[in-house]
Amino acid sequence: MASQILPLELIDRCIGSKIWVIMKSEREFTGTLLGFDDYVNIVLEDVTEFETTAQGVKKTKLAQTLLNGSNIAMLIPGSEGPEAN
Amino acid sequence: MDSSVTGIQEPFDLIRLSLSERVFVKLRGDRELTGILHAYDGHMNLIMSDVEETIMIVDQESAANGHGVVNVAKRKMDMLFVRGDGVILVSPPSRT
Amino acid sequence: MDDSPRPPSNEQSPPPPPPQPQSQTGTPTDFLKGVVGKRVVVRLVSGVDYKGLLSCLDGFMNIALEQTEEHVNGRITNRYGDTFVRGNNVLYISADEPL
Repeated sequence: MASQILPLELIDRCIGSKIWVIMKSEREFTGTLLGFDDYVNIVLEDVTEFETTAQGVKKTKLAQTLLNGSNIAMLIPGSEGPEAN
Repeated sequence: MDSSVTGIQEPFDLIRLSLSERVFVKLRGDRELTGILHAYDGHMNLIMSDVEETIMIVDQESAANGHGVVNVAKRKMDMLFVRGDGVILVSPPSRT
Repeated sequence: MDDSPRPPSNEQSPPPPPPQPQSQTGTPTDFLKGVVGKRVVVRLVSGVDYKGLLSCLDGFMNIALEQTEEHVNGRITNRYGDTFVRGNNVLYISADEPL
């Protein structure tokens, strides 16, 4: 049988690495993952926020930031984000 | 002002200290209220009296043209229950 | 208080000191402990920003701010002495000064 890994165990292994966070709305964040809790509230460092609007993508640099888990849709471990490619 | 001076340990203390005072409430849907705060609970359900409601109505056509004409409607209510899930922020009168 | 080492006593030994709060653990709780009293930006889901001094918050991310400025599209649209922000509207809390 394949070894089981819980979803949050995978995220736990990403602490200290880059992560790409996609929200339920047209908003994304990248940064270094410092930690998270059971609600998947997430603490990031050296953050860039990407906000997609009709006018284009607005980028905002942020210092240490706590993201509310209730708006998070997806996490992509190890990714530098939408501009990586 | 330091929170040790104002005696606020948790966010709800700010509301507790505003009971019987005139407060400003921002609601979802571009609504704002000012009125006397009589009661609140953990959901932020509110009872307010002597309330003036302000509704911002942005005219979509002119907003698209970049003019951003905002029509403001106001009305008064004597006594009001506000359901907590619509509350964005509550600002008490400044205690200066 | 005298901080020279105490002589040994027959009294019950004091409880061990609580574990040192690690300054660089990154859970949301640790972040929040570190950021209370500091300048923060609170961005709501609607995109409106509130900049101010973080007085306190609770487990719902309800937030009390002092010296609050409301920013919409980069412009200050309001100032409040104190502000209670209901947690369900909060998108993020970001440090606005070094922690």
